[in-house]
Amino acid sequence: MKINSNIWQDRVVTLSATILVLVVVSSIIWQGQFANLDNLSLVLLNLSIDAIVAVGMMVLLISGSFDLSVGSVVAFAGGLAAYLMYYWGVFVPVAILVSLAACLLIGLVNGALVAYVGINPLIQTLAMMGIVRGLALMVSGSGIQNLPDGFNALGQSQFMGFQSPVWYMLIVVVIFSFLVRRTIFFRRYYYIGGNEKAALLSGIRVKKMKVYSFMLASALAGLAGIILSARLGAAMPTAGQGMELRVITAVILGGASLLGGQGKIMGALLGTIFMGLVANIMILARISGYWQQIILGIILIVAVATDIIMKRRGTSPR
Amino acid sequence: MVKSTLLNLRHITKTYPGVVALDRVSFDLLAGEVHALCGENGAGKSTLMNVLSGNQQPDRGEIILGGEAVVLPNQKKAQEAGIGIVYQEKSLVSELSVADNVFAGIQPCNTWGFIDRQALFAKTQDLLERLRLTTIHPQQLVSTLSPGKQQMVEIAKALAQEPNILILDEPTAALSDDDTSVVFDIVRDLKAKGVGIIYISHRMHEIFKIGDRVTVLKDGKFQGLHNTQDTNVDEIIRLMVGRDLQDLNYQDHFQSDVVLQVKDLDGEGFSDISFSLHRGEILGLAGLVGAGRTELARAIFGIDKNKTGTIKINDESVRIRHPQDAIQFGLGYLPEHRKEQGLFLDMSVVENVVSTNLDVGDSGKIWMDTAEMRRVADHFVEKLDIRTPSINQKVVYLSGGNQQKIVLGKWLLRKPDILIVDEPTHGIDVGAKSEIYRLFNELSASGTAILMISSELTELIGLCDRILVMSHGELMASIDRPDFSEEEIIQYSSGLKRMP
Repeated sequence: MKINSNIWQDRVVTLSATILVLVVVSSIIWQGQFANLDNLSLVLLNLSIDAIVAVGMMVLLISGSFDLSVGSVVAFAGGLAAYLMYYWGVFVPVAILVSLAACLLIGLVNGALVAYVGINPLIQTLAMMGIVRGLALMVSGSGIQNLPDGFNALGQSQFMGFQSPVWYMLIVVVIFSFLVRRTIFFRRYYYIGGNEKAALLSGIRVKKMKVYSFMLASALAGLAGIILSARLGAAMPTAGQGMELRVITAVILGGASLLGGQGKIMGALLGTIFMGLVANIMILARISGYWQQIILGIILIVAVATDIIMKRRGTSPR
Repeated sequence: MVKSTLLNLRHITKTYPGVVALDRVSFDLLAGEVHALCGENGAGKSTLMNVLSGNQQPDRGEIILGGEAVVLPNQKKAQEAGIGIVYQEKSLVSELSVADNVFAGIQPCNTWGFIDRQALFAKTQDLLERLRLTTIHPQQLVSTLSPGKQQMVEIAKALAQEPNILILDEPTAALSDDDTSVVFDIVRDLKAKGVGIIYISHRMHEIFKIGDRVTVLKDGKFQGLHNTQDTNVDEIIRLMVGRDLQDLNYQDHFQSDVVLQVKDLDGEGFSDISFSLHRGEILGLAGLVGAGRTELARAIFGIDKNKTGTIKINDESVRIRHPQDAIQFGLGYLPEHRKEQGLFLDMSVVENVVSTNLDVGDSGKIWMDTAEMRRVADHFVEKLDIRTPSINQKVVYLSGGNQQKIVLGKWLLRKPDILIVDEPTHGIDVGAKSEIYRLFNELSASGTAILMISSELTELIGLCDRILVMSHGELMASIDRPDFSEEEIIQYSSGLKRMP
């Protein structure tokens, strides 16, 4: 029947093609402005934070779950690291590690309450989104500036024409793409998302695995938050606001399904790139910020609707 | 007094691809009588009731209601014609009140078109009082009621439309004795009011307790109609059974060493269970729906954790708190509902086959070996004769029989010492069935012990070395192969007899 007979059913392929078309068309329309290394480097820099968060979100969506608290965690992680360095003079690597550990703890709470108590992930992570935003405000107040140079260098140095966050993004994507494709550990998330009951009966420790996935999502959001602070040279309590919806949109565009069982890490990257490109094009086209939101919303609906219609025909894209 | 005829079904025939579900079956129902309908699984009882409730259309035959031939194109029309049905499956919304459930879709409205809550509660109260269910409050949420009380609400719901024909499909399957007697009281009241009741049950004593007449079906054919006063349990059972045994070829692979020993096991839905399972043995587990067989299997396999008692595997006491533990101890479990519990429908044949092999704690494997996975999948596709265009095919596109073979393949890959199978041939065609039986024989030949839960007596009798019978969560009998008889098993499973 229809097995791998058509590469156009693979979201990674269709999305890559769409991105290619966007790039070519934009290069023709805004020759000078779009198609130069500075602009493309800036586009990538702007989406690098989202992309790192999207990797964790993709793993969650594969397992049939999601996390709305990632945006708050981004602000909290940057804020906590900054607080430790600025007020207590903590050594940079230690501050980063402490901050990441705190994020792991947030993920542990999310995961444990969802998996063992049975709270719906929407409710649990929505509540956590508020709690952690509050924590972020507590640690960073109205913002912390004048962070150590060593810390700022982590987010501001250049390598081969790209600023460091772009490289971090690529490293995270490459590592996780490899792990998710190749390890038995991550492969279990496809089974859990595909059929949780059958996964349990097949001997998969579903609850534990769920806790780990929330911890991973929080840790990656924390990493993204620290990189963001380093890049800006400051921790802002409002960082990452609205990020959860942007990231979930990107991940779903990238081939995930809210029902679980589907998606690839490469799809998370491509979804984020697509969103970043659209945002850039709208700026070049002088479309107002309000319209950008509207257009991104429409793109999400169109993408999901296409998916459902394709499925009804029995040719679901993978 | 001559009772009027409410319903006449004449020569109803219904065929599905490959099966004649009903073959010229006739049935009638008088006002104020309880007409019981008997037969083994697959005898055609459900199909007949589906025809009567408008869910299925007969290929041939007539439905005559109150003297007039009618067509019942859907359930709503059947309801309007005065036919109420209480299904075996739950149809209540548990987070709504009793009243909202009872009058679902037909709530009384006020002049503005809104639901008149007061009238709704009053009507429900009235109905519950008539049924003498005064302990149920109309405003109570259904989820707060016991299973027995929920069943009463189901009946109240069917009666809300004031039908003159009421179909009860295994209404007592999940009920305690006390609740059962409440149901019987309701049935007697309705009878006195002239309602005709069709009562489907596997429980012989119930049929003889409240039935006036009994019709027996077998393999879609009418077997007999008797007044319950003029017949007895043995005669009815004789009419039900005696189906031709499919060519199952019992093979003796029984070895003397015990691989699984269960002692004094208590848990939700069963109590005081003790038995042992030998290497190479196929041990049947018979019983009616709700007898506690699946619950027992789930407890042994570590899905349900609340249990007390001892489980010994190869003479060592083990604690099984997760299916993963069970797998480590060499157990496998083929669940009752393959689509919901056994398969990853949107995943490929190869991904499904290897699914039990991912989490092998002792191997310490980290990386997926895709080449090995494909090799294994190819091997099983060939060995189990799974008909699929490719091992990359999503299993959702395969037939039931092939799907079941994939679930079996999952477990064969683990080479289990003990395989528990729950209704392994449910809903699959005859050809696939006999292939599954062949595989069970091969497995037991290689030393695997199989605990086989099945509601099809013919397959238990055809394959097993011994059969355990459960009723109401208790073990009623353990029968050795030379003593197998369908009549005996039915008597044990309906709780009429118990082995000392």
